[in-house]
Amino acid sequence: MSDEVKAAVLSLVGSDGLVWERLKSGSKGYYLLLMVTGILVAAAAVAGVQAMVVGHEHFYNTTREVPWGILISTYVFFVVTSTGLCLVSSIGHVFGNENFMPIAKRSVFLSIATILSGFFIIAFEIKIPWRMAIYNVISPNLTSNIWWMGTLYGVYLMFMLAEYGFLLLDKHRYAVICGFSGAVAGIAAHSNLGAVFGLLMGREFWHGPYMPIYFIASAMMTGTSVIILFHFLAYKVNKEEMGPPMKHALAITAKLGVLLICTILFFTIWKMVSGIAGQPAGKYEAVMALVKGPFAINFWLFEIGMGMVFPLILFAGSKGKNLSMMFLGAASMIIGIFVMRYDLVVVGQAVPVLHELGVNEYKHLLSYSPSLYEGIITIGGFAMTAFLFLIGEKLFAGHKMSQH
Amino acid sequence: MKYLKSIIAVVIFLPMLQAGQAVAAENSAHGGDIIYTKPLQSVTFSHKSHVEETGLSCDLCHAGLFEMQALKIQGKSNFTMAALAKGEYCGACHNGTMAFASTTRCASCHSGVKGGRLAQNHE
Amino acid sequence: MKPTNIDLAALANEGVENVAMKDRRHFLKMGLAITGVFAGGTLFSAVSVANKVFASPAEFADKYPYKPHYSMIIHQDRCIDCERCVAACAETNHVPHEGYRTRILQRDVPDAIGQKREFIPVLCNQCNLPQCTRVCPTKATYKNTSNGIVMMDTSKCIGCLTCQEACPYNARYFNEERQAVDKCNFCFDTRLAKGEKLTACANACPANCRVFGDLSDPTSEAYRTVHQIERAVWVLRPEAGTKPNIFYTKG
Ligand code: HEC
Ligand code: HEC
Ligand code: HEC
Repeated sequence: MSDEVKAAVLSLVGSDGLVWERLKSGSKGYYLLLMVTGILVAAAAVAGVQAMVVGHEHFYNTTREVPWGILISTYVFFVVTSTGLCLVSSIGHVFGNENFMPIAKRSVFLSIATILSGFFIIAFEIKIPWRMAIYNVISPNLTSNIWWMGTLYGVYLMFMLAEYGFLLLDKHRYAVICGFSGAVAGIAAHSNLGAVFGLLMGREFWHGPYMPIYFIASAMMTGTSVIILFHFLAYKVNKEEMGPPMKHALAITAKLGVLLICTILFFTIWKMVSGIAGQPAGKYEAVMALVKGPFAINFWLFEIGMGMVFPLILFAGSKGKNLSMMFLGAASMIIGIFVMRYDLVVVGQAVPVLHELGVNEYKHLLSYSPSLYEGIITIGGFAMTAFLFLIGEKLFAGHKMSQH
Repeated sequence: MKYLKSIIAVVIFLPMLQAGQAVAAENSAHGGDIIYTKPLQSVTFSHKSHVEETGLSCDLCHAGLFEMQALKIQGKSNFTMAALAKGEYCGACHNGTMAFASTTRCASCHSGVKGGRLAQNHE
Repeated sequence: MKPTNIDLAALANEGVENVAMKDRRHFLKMGLAITGVFAGGTLFSAVSVANKVFASPAEFADKYPYKPHYSMIIHQDRCIDCERCVAACAETNHVPHEGYRTRILQRDVPDAIGQKREFIPVLCNQCNLPQCTRVCPTKATYKNTSNGIVMMDTSKCIGCLTCQEACPYNARYFNEERQAVDKCNFCFDTRLAKGEKLTACANACPANCRVFGDLSDPTSEAYRTVHQIERAVWVLRPEAGTKPNIFYTKG
């Protein structure tokens, strides 16, 4: 290592280097939050490792009939968020829409943070993750959506990391190339995740081309809310006032959010109507579980109310100016979307596959509720995103875009 | 609605007043359902359906065919479908003329392992 | 309407015995394809579906050239839920008590005339178009190309459980001892590979409810049961498109 490089590295991470300087600049509240989120992540890791070592069946509430629980839905939530962040931010710095420029850098960083949180969760959901590391490579099954999804998200992460690196180094051309490739990989990966559900012939609630399309649209919707939420918080953490370009960018994002909420509302209405009209076997029971069954509160209050209608009103009412209203709308939407993912996964399994046989064993909807361990790991995932966000704000000095 | 109530009243109170004692005595006289576990689980014999519902008299079965002791018969090595088909045991009546043949409606007599377990849990 | 030049009287007389040998073989192959589309519980008319299939011939045996082509015919009305099959399976294949590879389901119909309950044995359908093998990311579950059994390579299983989601029969479960998804494989490793002719469950069944056999052998009982037009034969969840190799019938 040449002395020059050594000096450069030292000036960054040395005992009084730039990195430490920046990290030391936080307030008491900042460190407290950092500590709390750090502890939550550690708790989740301990819980996950314990479940892995002792046996998942002792700690998770998943069953033979409902093999996927809240960890899968949380994973889906995080990768939806990540893809959405990537796509919305790429409108600006990849496709050149100046309005979206100011949010690009932080969004790319957050999309990395959220996908890492997703991987963190899925590592504790998959029963034997180390076998995946080996056999995904030496024994790939190209007809498997899970394989494509996993592989493409790996590629996606690489591109997003590279993109952020190039943004840091102000190598804008390379950043655009990586951003574009990342967006393509993200769309491919994410629609494959939709296809994981959508191509299962035996699961009527999921089956059909709807899922991959819906997944992309709802990713964008999630992206807008997460961008608004974290940009609002970031300026609080950094105790700064937003400049006009940033305010304008968020206003445009909120507008895009309104459009996407309407899209998803439209999707949801037709999904429900198609599940009720003609009472299609299997699908009807699932849809009714949402409309007036055990998932009715989840559906009407969280999915429709908090996830879509409330944010729609707030986003539209804020006129892009009232930041607090937008923040509230975004926060409500994120909670709603989290429940949306949960319902998507759990309701899809609630109707037993042999329901139509009319046997005593499969007469009723199957039930699932998260266990304590699943809860801890889920919270750990959110804590991880928060932790990375907090660190990122200081480490990269508020993700400021350099001026060209 | 009124009509229904009076029916319920009759159904509940009449037996209690008069026939009640007789029925109860008979019930305890022949015991509850008998669940055979050999040679295989589980065949259910119900006095209720044979005596009360079908109206068979005790002698039809307890004059040579069966003893008044539950599960005694399953000690015999030929308590099998083959014997039933030849007109022994349950097959004396379940021959297709007096009652449905023992070569049909398998799951009527065979209440299954789960059915057997369920009945035992009720006791 | 333009009159067709088909001799209806001749058609009506054309029983199976009048069809030339080669055509008949073709016809019977179709019969198997038909049984793949029978609805569970509700049966289509076999004859009308046969006509449909004729319109778009699908070469069953060419498409699924397994030899032997293992299959099981379940005579549903013979099942008495003695569960000897379940016990034999568990013992033979070391199935832990929290799981099962085969199971007997019970349907109660209180207002039916006569028999008021029926038992329905279920197991892996060893589908010709299995969903589980398609979705497995690492080929840990795969279709044996010589005999059509859907197998598990436990060492490759990552435990994502997508196969469990994909299976329309709930035939798969996670075996904690083996640290892999487990399923019925027609006792391939425990019996068939050792020269036994029957699976443990078929062997243990006292009522001859489970008939295990080879669909590629026209003399086998399985083949002869399935390839009858006059016998109602159906499969579970035909709409899932998996083309199962477990057939159900009565009588
Ligand atoms: C349709 C045939 C049938 C009729 C009718 C019948 N029983 Fe029985 N009964 C049986 C059988 C079978 C057993 C069991 C014998 C065995 O398992 O060895 C039995 C057993 C009994 C037992 C012993 C029960 C126990 O728990 O140990 C009594 C007591 C009895 N019967 C009384 C009666 C009386 C009283 C009547 C007339 C009201 C009657 N049975 C009518 C078939 C009949
Ligand atoms: C004395 C003659 C007689 C004997 C012995 C007898 N049954 Fe029956 N059983 C009948 C008749 C009669 C009926 C009602 C007619 C019918 O359903 O065909 C009946 C009905 C039944 C039913 C149907 C009841 C219902 O509610 O659906 C079952 C089950 C049954 N018997 C089991 C047995 C078994 C098991 C045995 C031997 C342990 C046995 N029976 C011995 C005469 C007999
Ligand atoms: C009339 C009642 C009745 C009917 C109907 C009946 N069984 Fe049985 N079955 C019995 C009794 C009683 C036994 C002996 C008790 C036991 O095994 O628990 C028995 C025993 C058996 C056994 C074990 C003994 C042996 O013979 O190997 C088999 C197998 C069996 N039944 C099969 C069937 C099948 C298959 C059917 C339908 C075709 C059927 N049973 C219908 C009453 C009946």
